[in-house]
Amino acid sequence: MKSYFSELFTGAWSLIIGLKVTIKAMFRPIVTVQYPREKLEITPNYRGHIDLVKDEESGSHKCITCGSCMRECPSDCIVVDGEKREGVKGKALTVFTLDFTKCSLCGACVEVCPTDALDYSNDYELAGFTREEFHFDILKRLEERA
Amino acid sequence: METFYSILPELIRIVICAACGAIIVFGNALVMGYAERKLAGHIMLRPGPMEVGFHGILQLVVDGLKLMGKQLVVPAQADKPLFMIAPLLAFAPVFVPLLVLPFSEKIQGFDLDVGLLLILAFASLNVLAILIGGWGSNNKYSLFGAFRSVAQNVAYEIPMLISLLAIVFMTNTFSLRDIAAAQSPVWFVVLQPLAFLIYIVAMVAETNRAPFDLPEAESELTAGFHTEYSGMSFSLFVLGEYANMFIVCSIATVFFLGGSSGIPLPYFEYSGAIWFLAKVYALMFFLVWIRWTYPRTRFDQLMNFCWKYLIPFSLVNLLITVVMVKLI
Amino acid sequence: MIVFQYIAEALFYAFMILTFLGGFMAVRSRMLMHAVLGLAVALIGVAGLYFHLGSPFLATMQVLIYVGAVCIMIVLGVMLGNTPDQLTTKNFSGRNLLLALSACATGFFTLFITIQQTKFAPAAQMVGDMSIRFVGENLLYKYCLAFELISVILLTAIIGAIILARGGREEVAK
Repeated sequence: MKSYFSELFTGAWSLIIGLKVTIKAMFRPIVTVQYPREKLEITPNYRGHIDLVKDEESGSHKCITCGSCMRECPSDCIVVDGEKREGVKGKALTVFTLDFTKCSLCGACVEVCPTDALDYSNDYELAGFTREEFHFDILKRLEERA
Repeated sequence: METFYSILPELIRIVICAACGAIIVFGNALVMGYAERKLAGHIMLRPGPMEVGFHGILQLVVDGLKLMGKQLVVPAQADKPLFMIAPLLAFAPVFVPLLVLPFSEKIQGFDLDVGLLLILAFASLNVLAILIGGWGSNNKYSLFGAFRSVAQNVAYEIPMLISLLAIVFMTNTFSLRDIAAAQSPVWFVVLQPLAFLIYIVAMVAETNRAPFDLPEAESELTAGFHTEYSGMSFSLFVLGEYANMFIVCSIATVFFLGGSSGIPLPYFEYSGAIWFLAKVYALMFFLVWIRWTYPRTRFDQLMNFCWKYLIPFSLVNLLITVVMVKLI
Repeated sequence: MIVFQYIAEALFYAFMILTFLGGFMAVRSRMLMHAVLGLAVALIGVAGLYFHLGSPFLATMQVLIYVGAVCIMIVLGVMLGNTPDQLTTKNFSGRNLLLALSACATGFFTLFITIQQTKFAPAAQMVGDMSIRFVGENLLYKYCLAFELISVILLTAIIGAIILARGGREEVAK
């Protein structure tokens, strides 16, 4: 009989405490970010799809068209091609595409690159209406950035 | 034609009552739908609807239009007539209680001496609607929601009635206007605090709202009895729920918070409605507040609370009231 | 005022049709659930008739108790049972139909002949205003014994329910 009443009072008291918590929360400023209106700074550690690194000295990329990334890719989504040009050592990069619909973001290509020409991009706003929109031309993206 | 003119005022009165009822039901759903989402947002430290209109004030209008435009899907195995009748049955009876509510001394549809009984009778039809909808959907979730709804409503109707009965003993009438008028010096919430508390708890359970929203427990029953409903038939259930909230809060106002009494305003016979609505919406705010504070109860806890706490306490309260009324 | 009378007349027939249709649905429906809902409709119609007869108290109590409580309890019981099976069996066929018809005819003609031969006294004038106060005072002073005896039926029903429930539990325990 004693526990019957004590349960009632402790229960009621806990309910009042709960109400106090929520009424305080109601007048606290909101903490959520209104996404399309305001955006948070993305962390540099974010591992998005791959991008070619811009070389500060030459103003271009560091790719030597070795094709390691293409071979290493478990989903076969990278295509790299180059051609021999006059006065340039090695092959010059002409095609670097990524089929992001198949990419599993494993990062093997970045790991294997001998010249550190690849890095993860910070691009997270990826939405599109067709599959083709995700066949990225990485080389073109680099030129657009430059 | 003299006869026609003699009943004309009464006819106009009926039309006005019906129109006001419709305005209250739909307007209340708009206001409460918006307020609930806004308050829920701010309790969770987020802003709630913000996009349509200033601070999302037109959100509910847009939602209503969207719901009207949606297709009414009837499940292939459902009991079609029952499935279609249930939302109507949930929505239509809410107009009747509005007719007898005394919004102020002079604003009242009809003053019946069975006012309270009328409200309770039509409120009990809501359970039937939930049952029909749950059974007619031919869906396990819906059926479980309907079961729970009945067990819960039947159980909580008892403490609700008994707590109100204590007031009826004190005032000697079922007429809502007389009950509101009887508490001109002191509100009954002062004289009957226990009955008020019991009524508040039972009121939350009767309107199937959190923490007693077991009939539509999202986490275990998808959406409970209205799992299969879409478009307008779903929104009729929601409109009915908000209108029921308005009605139970109005009863609490009339029985415990002095109806339309308050600080006198000019033309108080009419403007008392402002105080009435203020009290009703304060109670509705409380309902929203507790909905977003407490987690859902378990079913055995729900039943234990009713049968072990609310009913004994309300009976003791009734007994004490009767003795006091007899002695004084 | 004649318009009011027409409205009242129309309401009377509307409630009568509602009661009749509900009853027909209750009897004739092959789904048990529909039958119970037909019963609910019939009871709402009866409540309307009470209202038409000038007793809002009785009408509201009819809705509150019969529709709001009794029907819901029956529906709950029906929902626990298995209903769709009953669709396959037809009750009214062959010998059953004949028996049912003869039973109905007997009942109908017995009542019909009795009613025909009875000389009805004019209905007693309605005394009192049928307000709650009037009904309550009559029930608790004038017809107190009848009122209390009816409550004994409820008590019996409650005891019966408890006995049934207990018996069921013990069987499960074994």
